[in-house]
Amino acid sequence: MKFQAKNILGVAALIGFNLTPIADELPDRQQALPSVAKQAEHLYIESAALADIPAGEFGDKVRLGYQLFVNTQQLRDKHVGNELNCVNCHLNAGNKANASPLWGAYFAYPAYRKKNDKVNSFEERLQGCFTYSMNGKAPESGSKELVALSAYSYWLGMSGLMLQHNVAGPVPELSDSELVKGAKRDDFILPEAISSKMDQNALAQLPGRGYPAVPKAEQAYSPERGAKVYQAHCQSCHGKDGQGQMIAGVAALPPLWGPQSYNWGAGMHRVGTAADFIYENMPLGKSVQLTPQQAWDVSAYINSQERPQDPRFKGQVTDTQKQYHQHDGYYGKTISGKVLGSASSANFPKK
Amino acid sequence: MNKMITAAIFVSSALSIQVSASVPDASPKELQQTVPAAAQVCLSCHGAQGQGIDLAGPKLAGLSSAYMMQQIKLFQSGSRQNPLMQPMSMTVQGDNIKVVADYFASQSVDKINLHYRGDKVVIADPAEKIAYQGDWSRDLPACFSCHGPSGVGAEQFPRLAGQQASYLKTQLEAWQSGTRKGDADNMMGNVASKLTAAEIDQLAQYFASLK
Repeated sequence: MKFQAKNILGVAALIGFNLTPIADELPDRQQALPSVAKQAEHLYIESAALADIPAGEFGDKVRLGYQLFVNTQQLRDKHVGNELNCVNCHLNAGNKANASPLWGAYFAYPAYRKKNDKVNSFEERLQGCFTYSMNGKAPESGSKELVALSAYSYWLGMSGLMLQHNVAGPVPELSDSELVKGAKRDDFILPEAISSKMDQNALAQLPGRGYPAVPKAEQAYSPERGAKVYQAHCQSCHGKDGQGQMIAGVAALPPLWGPQSYNWGAGMHRVGTAADFIYENMPLGKSVQLTPQQAWDVSAYINSQERPQDPRFKGQVTDTQKQYHQHDGYYGKTISGKVLGSASSANFPKK
Repeated sequence: MNKMITAAIFVSSALSIQVSASVPDASPKELQQTVPAAAQVCLSCHGAQGQGIDLAGPKLAGLSSAYMMQQIKLFQSGSRQNPLMQPMSMTVQGDNIKVVADYFASQSVDKINLHYRGDKVVIADPAEKIAYQGDWSRDLPACFSCHGPSGVGAEQFPRLAGQQASYLKTQLEAWQSGTRKGDADNMMGNVASKLTAAEIDQLAQYFASLK
């Protein structure tokens, strides 16, 4: 039955029915999150307190960005197709060094990408998060949601830089069209006290951005060893079946695989990216530090489970794998006799 | 000394209840409506509906069966140290552990207005701020991350909302001092160790006030 349904979709795609409108608009690659050397703590910028977000229209956008970031489920069925919230991977509401902070990303966009000879704006990067990590349907360019998330990211970064460089006064307000571009552009206005000390490239590589690279492990990563790490250190919060913990209707503890988690196109499905994240940030609050080997192994275990389909899938797992998965992931690989990607759940399912 | 006397009184009153209460030999559903025999011993401190009796025993209604079963076992093994609960927990053994836990887990709690992360951006109350935002300058996660909206909890994460302030305070102190253990990787001990005495007071009052 399932097989038939897939065939029908495949035929429909061939004869040009637009049954999968999401897939047609997607960028060719989801760029890997930066995996960088960890830098000394005193170098990290520290954003101003949320209480310092100014009153008024601009401040309202910043506040809405914060609210969407920590409770992304407000957009469930509109733009979000799983139980995740942005804050699940970007800890401390996107304001934690070494947990892919928003301020690190904001100053690294727009980014030129050789692959598609295209300059990607910050809002396009955010759209990628909705399509892949949230297994959803991205808000349109210039939408209220993308403006708000951009405003919040900008405010975190700019207030942090201003504090670091002793620049007094409020964070300069930007228009919506400027906000969604990102800060790595010639016409981006920076206080002189900052621009005199940091050029665009320095700002695009703020210490604490991305996830610090986990040290290489002695042995090749192994999902089998990872299962044991998972049982010992992860399952008490994320559940035996990786489905997290729902409390009062929200996934307080996020699901790590299955239909309610990130899809096969998300950066986190890469073994290296998740290993970086886990080694630096898990278990939450760091009651224990895993070894690099454990981080690699448990990442392999988590990422060798089924999850929602890669939205760029056009009917053949081998095609999607060949085109988009020439990296350290399990899509298209056979685990316990099953080809991952062949039984993936739907993209952007309604709740 | 006082504690010992109090304990003795509680034990004797528990016994008297045991004698007078009806002990039904019925289906599990009916059992939930009357107190199972194995749970009689709990009532004098925790209340017949697990509603808790201030300074005697915390509220059990609102906690999951899985959580309470685990706690009984932790008291028995000494991972959770408490002069009263260690001997009391020993009186519940085998299948009765689940019977007792199921009984209290089936007791109702008052509905509260749930607050979700992001409902407020700026939080003035220091305890509420820790509850929803944590303090990552010292790697202190928000209580919300495990105990959920308004700290209502689920499964192995106990409900904090409406719990007695005195109990919440002694528990945070017990996690700090290591007289309470038994979770994975000492997660809660790690969190509690980062709290100041003032924050413990504030958090205890805050969650107790969520009714």
